[in-house]
Amino acid sequence: MTVHDGESATLVQDLLRLGATRDAAITRIHALLLLVARAEAGRRRARLPDRVLDEVDDLCMQAANDAVMSILRKLNEFRGQSRFTTWACKFVIFEVSTRLRRHAWRHRAVESDETVWDHLADGAPSALRSLEHQELTIAVSRAVRERLTDRQRTVFQAATVDQIPIDVLAERYGSSRGAIYKILHDARRKLRGALTEAGYAEHLA
Amino acid sequence: MSDTPIRHLLGKDGRDPGCEGAFEVLDQYVEAKRRGADIEARFGDFITHVRNCAACREDTDGLLAALDDLEGPAPSK
Repeated sequence: MTVHDGESATLVQDLLRLGATRDAAITRIHALLLLVARAEAGRRRARLPDRVLDEVDDLCMQAANDAVMSILRKLNEFRGQSRFTTWACKFVIFEVSTRLRRHAWRHRAVESDETVWDHLADGAPSALRSLEHQELTIAVSRAVRERLTDRQRTVFQAATVDQIPIDVLAERYGSSRGAIYKILHDARRKLRGALTEAGYAEHLA
Repeated sequence: MSDTPIRHLLGKDGRDPGCEGAFEVLDQYVEAKRRGADIEARFGDFITHVRNCAACREDTDGLLAALDDLEGPAPSK
């Protein structure tokens, strides 16, 4: 399927009109977004649990529906800095990828073993096992325990060691992807600062 | 420079616009990348974010793949 730039311009104009023209434009953009959602789900198919595959069509439809709603709500924010179809597609990619990640984790417990930081050097999980230097490993463990708040420690460990997607954490904590990322970002900044103070700056460059 | 485990854990230092800020320019980034534009110069903050955020990195790959499907492979490829 080929989308030309002129088609994007027409879509925007039609979405701004009223009545049947607008309805037809919504139908066209919905069809495009559903196509994109299904293609994205197909691209991730190999990484999805079997039980999610049964729900993929429904998830794609929900993603396209919600993406259309977001687009209509934000239409006056579109500045033409990209083609309209590209701008529109980012909404459905966000919607479908968030749904796929959350459904993949739906029946998995989000639990962290915080004692992992106490015995990194001898029993670290895979994400940490290959840290090259034992002293550095110990410095990271100490900084995690001493510098982070409870919330930062929980999010940092879940996202980096347990590899739980931040969308999933956001859902479990009743938060947003952006808010969870901010906690992770602040935790990492504190840890980088602590390691720099401890003389490990060259390992962070 | 390749990502070592410690860099993977602690992320890349630098200006990071966060998930919402990255989403704002995601469409512009993928079009610039497909054009072969100098994305490092114009989208340095965005690139820092997607290196640090697996979810936004996955979404960026998804949008690039969608444009490949809709419009054909990027001219810069």
